[in-house]
Amino acid sequence: MNSYSNSLSVERAQPWLGTLVSIRIEGLPVPQAHRAIDAAFKEIAVVHRRMSFHDADSDVGQLNRNRTRRPVTVHPYTFEVLQWAMRLSSFSNGCFDISVAAELVDWQLLPRPAGAEHVPRGSWRDIELLPDCQVVFHRPLWIDLGGIAKGFAVDRATERLRACGALHTVVNAGGDIRVQGKSAAMIRLGAESSTHAMPVLELADGSVAGSSSQRQWRCDAGLPCSPHVDGIQRSPAPTDRFVCVVAKQCVVADALTKVVMAQGQDSVRTLRQFGASAHLYASPGVWRHLEPDERGAETE
Amino acid sequence: MKAKLIFIPLAGIVIAGGPAYATVFLSVEQAQSVLFPGATFQPDTRMLTDEQVKAIERASGVNVRSKQMKVWRVSTGGWFIVDEVVGKHEYIPFALGLDDRGAVKGVEVLEYREAYGDQIRNPEWRKQFLDKGPDTKLQLGKNIHNISGATLSCKHITDGVQRLLATYELVLKQSER
Repeated sequence: MNSYSNSLSVERAQPWLGTLVSIRIEGLPVPQAHRAIDAAFKEIAVVHRRMSFHDADSDVGQLNRNRTRRPVTVHPYTFEVLQWAMRLSSFSNGCFDISVAAELVDWQLLPRPAGAEHVPRGSWRDIELLPDCQVVFHRPLWIDLGGIAKGFAVDRATERLRACGALHTVVNAGGDIRVQGKSAAMIRLGAESSTHAMPVLELADGSVAGSSSQRQWRCDAGLPCSPHVDGIQRSPAPTDRFVCVVAKQCVVADALTKVVMAQGQDSVRTLRQFGASAHLYASPGVWRHLEPDERGAETE
Repeated sequence: MKAKLIFIPLAGIVIAGGPAYATVFLSVEQAQSVLFPGATFQPDTRMLTDEQVKAIERASGVNVRSKQMKVWRVSTGGWFIVDEVVGKHEYIPFALGLDDRGAVKGVEVLEYREAYGDQIRNPEWRKQFLDKGPDTKLQLGKNIHNISGATLSCKHITDGVQRLLATYELVLKQSER
């Protein structure tokens, strides 16, 4: 059977980055669409291999176990994600901080890196980015790019799809989604907000990242913990909310969910810096729209 | 960029096959073409023995749920296998391509179904899906393809791939010419 018929929509999904990544192309001949999707998944595979916290041979694994404080050379993509991370940390005054991996290991939400004796207590301020993709930690650090790399992978995949001639695309890495093209995609928000209405985001030519903390986490000692960490307080973000951030680039949307999760309405200033907005559901029946140009508006 | 949050009354939504979100990505034939372009496929369906099941479980650390294996030999070398794993609530069928050395050539998820959160256990919520005709405007998985903010792990798929790699080593490799 020849499966390469001339359908106008092709969608495929593969497991990467600890989640399911799907890529959808509209309006391209099917064989060309499959070639474009193959190329886009190759980009995602690079991010997966280079930025995994769990893999000791990844760039992140090498940085986390490097105790010499000598520069480590990383892949240009890893370097670009680190540049984004530093910018996001700087504008959020450290609320977004990739060094909260230490807390996540403490809470057993991430495995302890092999050979590690002490949990390091540095911050993003101890990271220096040097020319030629070199990175140096001035204190021992554990970084986790889990809060930003998925969004970056979605951006890379989208750019590769465009380079292959695909102009109407949806790339979704576990809820970090970028829609390319003017026709809107309908994206259901996974918030447990109501039994009568479903929140849906109509999105064209932009990105969304959603995140829910509507679940209580406890670490083994019974204390509250969370995969969402406030980098300033080094403590779990509030556990009562759903946030979704809308931005042009998915890397920005992904990272800013952590800031909105931790700071709620106070995150408006950081959102403004990146031209982003957010929807926050934190009290029953009320959705708050954090729009930097206006005062937060309520709906429903 | 255009972004607008809207609220759709659940009473206006039809969910095909029950209250679940479902996306069909590829048929088996399409997955074969994607993983091995231009090749032909010889079915080689087989039944695992109890001893093989035990050996695979020991080697992979993953339970074998079905003894029947849907396997194809690929004309250009290698194997094409269709299998399924249990997701959060539903089965997830996937295809695995192995090259002639048994290395992973690619994994393609064929279909993804997901129950609509914990609300499916709420009888009041379920009632809203009864007797909805085909004139209803929106369908989950048809008009609404993506979910943002719902936890979606692929650990069960990566476990499934580990189990099939062990199956290759212990069963398929022996039958290669």
